[in-house]
Amino acid sequence: MIVAEIKPFGEIKDMLKDYKKVLILGCGTCVTVCLSGGERQVELLASALRMARKIEGNEITVGERTILRQCDPEFIDQIKYEAAQYDAILSMACGAGVQGTAERLGSIPVLPAMNTTFIGVSDGQGTWVEVCAACGACILAKTGGICPVARCAKSLINGPCGGSQDGKCEVSKDNPCVWQQIYAHLLKLNMLHFLREMSQPKTWPVHPRRLVKEQTKGV
Amino acid sequence: MKLAETVPPCQAACPIHTDVRGYVTAIIRGDLDEAIKINRQVNPFPSVCGRICTRPCESVCRRAQVDEPIAIAALKRFASDQTKGLKLIQPPQHYYDERVAVIGAGPAGLTAAHDLALLGYKVTVFEEQNVLGGMLMEGIPEYRLPKDVVNEEVDFILSLGIEAKTGLSLGRDFSIEELLKDYQAIFLAVGSQKSLFPKCKGIELSGIITAVEFLKQVSRGQRPFLGKRVLVIGGGHTAIDAARTCLRLGSSDITIIYRRTLDEMPAGREEVEDAEKEGVNIRYLTAPVDFSGNGNVQKVRCIKMRLGEIDESGRRRPVPVEDSEFEIKADTVILAIGYIPEPDTLKDSGLILSKNGTVIVKDETGATNLKGVFAGGDVVSGPLSVIEAIAAGRRAADTIHRYLRTLPAKEVEKPLPFRPLDDSVVRLINKSMRQKIPTIPVEKRLNDFNEVDMGYSWSEAVKEAQRCLLCGSGALVAENCAACLNCVRICPYGVPVPGREIAEIDISQCQACGICASECPASAINLKLETREDGHAALQKMIDKARREAPEILIIGYYCRYKVPTGLPDESGICWLGKLCAGRLDVFQLIYPFELGVDGVAVHMCKNEECRFRDGSRWLLTHIERAKKILDEIGIGADRLDIISDGEDVSDFRKRLEALGINPVRKGEKAKE
Repeated sequence: MIVAEIKPFGEIKDMLKDYKKVLILGCGTCVTVCLSGGERQVELLASALRMARKIEGNEITVGERTILRQCDPEFIDQIKYEAAQYDAILSMACGAGVQGTAERLGSIPVLPAMNTTFIGVSDGQGTWVEVCAACGACILAKTGGICPVARCAKSLINGPCGGSQDGKCEVSKDNPCVWQQIYAHLLKLNMLHFLREMSQPKTWPVHPRRLVKEQTKGV
Repeated sequence: MKLAETVPPCQAACPIHTDVRGYVTAIIRGDLDEAIKINRQVNPFPSVCGRICTRPCESVCRRAQVDEPIAIAALKRFASDQTKGLKLIQPPQHYYDERVAVIGAGPAGLTAAHDLALLGYKVTVFEEQNVLGGMLMEGIPEYRLPKDVVNEEVDFILSLGIEAKTGLSLGRDFSIEELLKDYQAIFLAVGSQKSLFPKCKGIELSGIITAVEFLKQVSRGQRPFLGKRVLVIGGGHTAIDAARTCLRLGSSDITIIYRRTLDEMPAGREEVEDAEKEGVNIRYLTAPVDFSGNGNVQKVRCIKMRLGEIDESGRRRPVPVEDSEFEIKADTVILAIGYIPEPDTLKDSGLILSKNGTVIVKDETGATNLKGVFAGGDVVSGPLSVIEAIAAGRRAADTIHRYLRTLPAKEVEKPLPFRPLDDSVVRLINKSMRQKIPTIPVEKRLNDFNEVDMGYSWSEAVKEAQRCLLCGSGALVAENCAACLNCVRICPYGVPVPGREIAEIDISQCQACGICASECPASAINLKLETREDGHAALQKMIDKARREAPEILIIGYYCRYKVPTGLPDESGICWLGKLCAGRLDVFQLIYPFELGVDGVAVHMCKNEECRFRDGSRWLLTHIERAKKILDEIGIGADRLDIISDGEDVSDFRKRLEALGINPVRKGEKAKE
């Protein structure tokens, strides 16, 4: 899942200073799950913005909508006509959703309310942790299902480095050394032999990437 | 049969399916008009039932899994006593020309008359006695059911335009055939008042009387001579009523004999306890063998019983124990072993009767073998409870309306009860014992027939109502659930589970704390009781009130109804809005009032260990913290939102707000003006 967090209120307010009529558009999938950009946050941000602008004597009309996903044009089309009534759209989706909405709506400025942070998993209530860097060449089979690209501060694929101490990363003592974790897990799986193999340098992807499903495309 | 609705067990068990949860929550809100309205919609005798109902609802109350059932009847009584004189009549939408005769003015007959009058029919009630109310008036002693309570409800029923003809007996003064000339339908509800006699030697002796006759005499003001020692035979309500009445008439040595044990006794456990407290002896597993005396009964030979196999009534059959006979001395014997309809009333009626003398009906509609004649209540079922009689009256009114309007028969809807609470949930519910119903002390009871139960005070009633687990009024998950599983992780009772597509919350187990709803990022969880929409409407109403009362500095406050059962007074210009646990307050509800122009928001909260729901206060604190941060960011300032602890002077908060001046959002508005 994509994890994002809401931008500081001041930054959002500043971004919208020249607009009088804004639609706050929530996204009902990843950012809702990570408690950042769903219907509840849309409601709160809308109220906060209206109040802040009223205090400044520069009132703003704020519309509130949440669609299932902003990364699919068909969902964005659901609000096409409504969106046309606004000066700008404040998207509470991840960066992909903001761009999807911007491209689909064309002539209306679409602004981001969120900072998209990582691809992660839930680590207990209200906590998410980065686990995938979307590198495009997965090596998890050799690392006990633990990704050093996303979870090692140096993204080493032949770790650990010399800075690992007592199982902690030298960059931040709050973070475990992921290579220590990989070692422990491979030991448990009786697969330590993977560590004897030197991983070859990765072919890093060239941006932007594109995924084409040939079967579906042809229909 | 229609697909059955699932309802709280109390409602499913009530023969008239009273919305118990509805009126109990109305009492929690202090809305007694609503509480009594809910009762009156299905029951013209709420004051009566609040006192003497056999309470099938309480016997299935799920609170008993935790500690003790809710005192449902006592709450009904409270709502009814507190709204005396309140007229809640919905006049009929149509008036029909047909006339309906109701024979018998007991609870079944009067309920049918009430419902038919409200449907728009002209109703005449025929009653053999000179008073209306049937067994309510003459069969139940005043210390349990005062006559003025019955009279008031009967008068209300008559005020709907019902004609009452008293002193007229079916079979003696009129016949069904004659009535059918003037009335297009008849409801026969003459009850089941003829006592059965045990087949024992000596039963003809004087001094052996029937309980119904005895209670009738006493209710008419007569004081039959009983002597010192009285033996009552039977284990039903009437036996207990007769015994306790004897005590009040001055007899000092009163024994009830019952052939089974307390567990099988039809009388209520509390009544039995009350009788024992007042000094009645009860000998279980004892049956009479014969009566002897010199003209007047003097001795009763009894035999000990034991319980054998289960009989057709579903109870274990009592079997005599050999060589266990013994004697009890008695000046009077009162029989309360069973009742059948009065045979003289029905013998020439043309109705088909069972061998017990009850009227045989075709089906649940109460249709008899005579066209246009319907029967219900004890005359069909044999003696049952008041609430069963009311249910029969309601069915009869509906059936007669359908018969007269040639409407199709009603599809019978039998609501299903929510399943019992899981042990894992029961363990987590805080215990709270039942509020004791205040009663007259035992030593003061026996001199007169004053009502023993005094009823709840306002605060006792609200506290008792708050014990209600509000079965089935909790979380409903909408389809826009993002399956984030936040609810699964935060529910203090572990009720939500991940479903195939969305989170699933079993409403039968949900405790309605509202924490999941206040935290759901998709706003996909709403509560059945106090919905989000209700919350917004109540807030708007409260702000309007605050504006009227204190136009300068507008302050609203939220409080927890569980912490402050009877509410907080609107003082120092703060208008208070109660929540069923302040943990239901989400961040939006804390900041939105400021958008509506409020200058300050107070939250009266309890300590987490006092929370009715395990985590309500803890979550409320995090909501307040988040709301304060937003208020700071906007420029309103966090100080305008404050926690008022128990006992703290609210005027301090007001003073602080006065120093801060009006909410800058309003200032913006004013500047614009």
